[in-house]
Amino acid sequence: MNRRVFLLGAAGLAGCARKRPRLNVYNWSNYVAPDTVANFEREFGVEVRYATYESNEEMLAKVLGGNSGWDVVFPTHNRILPMREYGLLAPLNHAWLPNLGNLEPRFQTPPWDPRLEVCVPYMWGATGIAYNRSVAPAPEAWADLWGTRLKGRMTMLDDPEEVVGACLLKLRLSYNSTAPPDLRRAEREAIAQKTLLRAYLNAEFRDQLVAGDVLVAHSWATTAQQAIDAAPQLAFTYPAEGFPLYGDNAVVLRESRRAELAHKFIDYLLRPPVAAAIVETSRTATANGAAQALLPESLRRNTTLFPTAETLVRGQWIGTMPAATQRLRDRIWTEIKSA
Amino acid sequence: MKAAAALDKAASGWERLRAWFLLPAWIWMAVLFAAPFVIVIFYSLLTRGAYGGLGPPWTVENYQRLLDPLYLVILLKSFLMAALTTVICLLLGFPLALFISRAGNRRNIYLQLVILPFWTSFLVRLYAWLFLLRDTGLINTALQHLGLIHDPLPLLYNDGAVLLGLVYGYLPFMVLPVYATLERLDPALVEAAADLGAKQWSTMLHVVLPLSAPGIRAGSILVFIPALGAYLTPDLLGGGRTVLIGNLVQNQFTNARDWPFGAAISVGLMALVGVMVLLMLRRERETLV
Amino acid sequence: MKRGLGLFAAAVYAFLHLPLIILAIFSFNSSRFTVWQGFSLHWYHAIFQDPQLAESAWNSLIIAVAATILSTIAGTLCAYGLWKRGSALLSGSLYLSLVTPEIVMGISLLALFQWSFRWLHWRLGLHTVILAHVAFSIAYVVIVIAARLRTFSPSLEEAALDLGATEWQAFRYVTLPALLPGIVAAALLALTVSFDDYVITSMVAGVDSETLPMVIYAMARRGASPVINAISALIVVVFGALVLISERVRES
Repeated sequence: MNRRVFLLGAAGLAGCARKRPRLNVYNWSNYVAPDTVANFEREFGVEVRYATYESNEEMLAKVLGGNSGWDVVFPTHNRILPMREYGLLAPLNHAWLPNLGNLEPRFQTPPWDPRLEVCVPYMWGATGIAYNRSVAPAPEAWADLWGTRLKGRMTMLDDPEEVVGACLLKLRLSYNSTAPPDLRRAEREAIAQKTLLRAYLNAEFRDQLVAGDVLVAHSWATTAQQAIDAAPQLAFTYPAEGFPLYGDNAVVLRESRRAELAHKFIDYLLRPPVAAAIVETSRTATANGAAQALLPESLRRNTTLFPTAETLVRGQWIGTMPAATQRLRDRIWTEIKSA
Repeated sequence: MKAAAALDKAASGWERLRAWFLLPAWIWMAVLFAAPFVIVIFYSLLTRGAYGGLGPPWTVENYQRLLDPLYLVILLKSFLMAALTTVICLLLGFPLALFISRAGNRRNIYLQLVILPFWTSFLVRLYAWLFLLRDTGLINTALQHLGLIHDPLPLLYNDGAVLLGLVYGYLPFMVLPVYATLERLDPALVEAAADLGAKQWSTMLHVVLPLSAPGIRAGSILVFIPALGAYLTPDLLGGGRTVLIGNLVQNQFTNARDWPFGAAISVGLMALVGVMVLLMLRRERETLV
Repeated sequence: MKRGLGLFAAAVYAFLHLPLIILAIFSFNSSRFTVWQGFSLHWYHAIFQDPQLAESAWNSLIIAVAATILSTIAGTLCAYGLWKRGSALLSGSLYLSLVTPEIVMGISLLALFQWSFRWLHWRLGLHTVILAHVAFSIAYVVIVIAARLRTFSPSLEEAALDLGATEWQAFRYVTLPALLPGIVAAALLALTVSFDDYVITSMVAGVDSETLPMVIYAMARRGASPVINAISALIVVVFGALVLISERVRES
């Protein structure tokens, strides 16, 4: 019988038993191992309410009000600045985070928070192209996604930033370009590509890659890895023109009244064995350098999750869009979808 | 005099009952619909914040943005989809409701059978449709094995698939109201018509259909209006290839982080539907609700 | 014609239940992906090892039952009152609540709650979810019951009044019993709409009030579909059994 249910039941039976301290954690789905939270509860004698969300906006909608009830959330790096400006983040106390040194050097001074004042990098990833090895020659660049031989067997992500970004990279422009002429050129590329696509899919393409419906998919590295695990005839490539990078970070909300416990949780996640276990379950790339050493050989050398340094050079961190650009991009996305 | 006084008393008696009966609904709609609706209108008159959210200045710009052919085409397409969905739901749902209403004491079971699938998550059942309609899915594989087709049929990621999903999702909303009126149908009436020599089709047209007209109207409203705002079905079964109003609004509150514009679209949609309903009520002379 | 009707009904039922059958079959699939790889009860085991699932299912049930009771009562009374004499404002707002896109309703209700909580010192929780659910399901109840009322003649109630009954008694003993099948249909609709709601619920749910759709949607999006298939199959079996039992009880 599940130990937690038994514990809760026993506590209930005992009547007014002393309640354990609580921590509310709101994270992306599939970002912890099955026993991560339970182990933390056991070791620290606390109760963790752990819920998941599917998008930053979903999390932000709740958190913007300032009384959501959550203590720890995990925004993507380009939301850190806005959250800071809205006064949502509590400053981090590094004295409570002894394991901070486990982070890879480049994540100890990330561009979005060089002194780690408000966030702790957690997991990171990139977007590229997942494909079936039967496709020859194998796709190596964004430009390969415009080939007519793949008509109807190709999908792109259903994400305006990613699709427009891929078109920008194909045109050898910056992923974060805000210039309207650039964006309009990207739009024309996307509309031209649409007739070749099967669909815009964020998660369902994984099943279809495995089943063989889809041969080439615009994909995040972690999703691609999950597909490769199930079907070894699949592979992943980081496009030659460059690719976007994102990093998810742990933050403590200013509204939280359990700041110290929140820090303890984040510190717990920074422990190498804990982080390594999470990587093995969720197939994501961790920002924790010490944890990478604990991974099995196959994962440590996995170039899908952990690309080589030469590959990484081509990556660009996704930027924060100013309002005017956001509006133009949104209109462009509607036009692409309606085309 | 006495009759008039009695009539007055009776009239006020009904009025008092009616006032009490309407009270819960009034309170609920005032607090949990009108108040949020006012909030939505406020939102639509504000401007998008630097990183999402909203703030001053006040502006009608969001409504001006709406009057763009791009969005009007989306609106039109959504109306067409919703209308088609309603018609198909009627064609499928009316006979089913008729069947259930005639099933004697097994009526309740048949009724529950309609609802039973809807206890499981709609999203999950949509995924099951993905599996059925895919190129390597059940239907195509079966047809290929039977030698009926050679290449897989494109059953997914097009308007047809979206329509199928919409009909699938909204059928009970047609069946239940129609059943609620058909159940009242006295079998004696049908018998009487038959005794008088009417053929079955004639009875259907001139007896059954008129009596169930309120149910058909109710069902049509309960299908058409929510179908206008559908986003999950077009997203999943349409493969994100088309944008309907529901997707557009959803997008504003997620990717685009442009709440004011999303609010304006919603208010616009509600205004349009409001006008439609008003016109419909005028024509019918008697109100539906 | 009866035979034709029966066949047609069977076809429509097949259409409605086909995905369910697929789900049930794949709940026994040993692979995570929708490619059959062998029989396994693994996913059913997984359900019982997840305390979050049980809790969220319980939450969903409480919310659905509470919201259905509230909205059915309020909705029936409202439909009856509007039948006596209409109200354009009330009818109009009921229709509008139907057309409001879910996310707009969710966000605006969230804003309302968060604003009012500054004075009331409450938090988001099961109660806010129930309130929100009643808000969107009342319209369904009203419309279904109103449609049924359309088929009534007021003369029955008038007769009761002539025989000395009060208006309330006329409603209670003449109209209400005749409304019952409509009330059942409306309540079923409200129950279903509430039990499977995701968007509005996820917006106004508190930290502790996770519902089954929220858990399922999260699982579905990250592809743990076999567990969901098992859950769905279980739900159908449990509720199907409940229906059969309640029918037996009713008949005896």
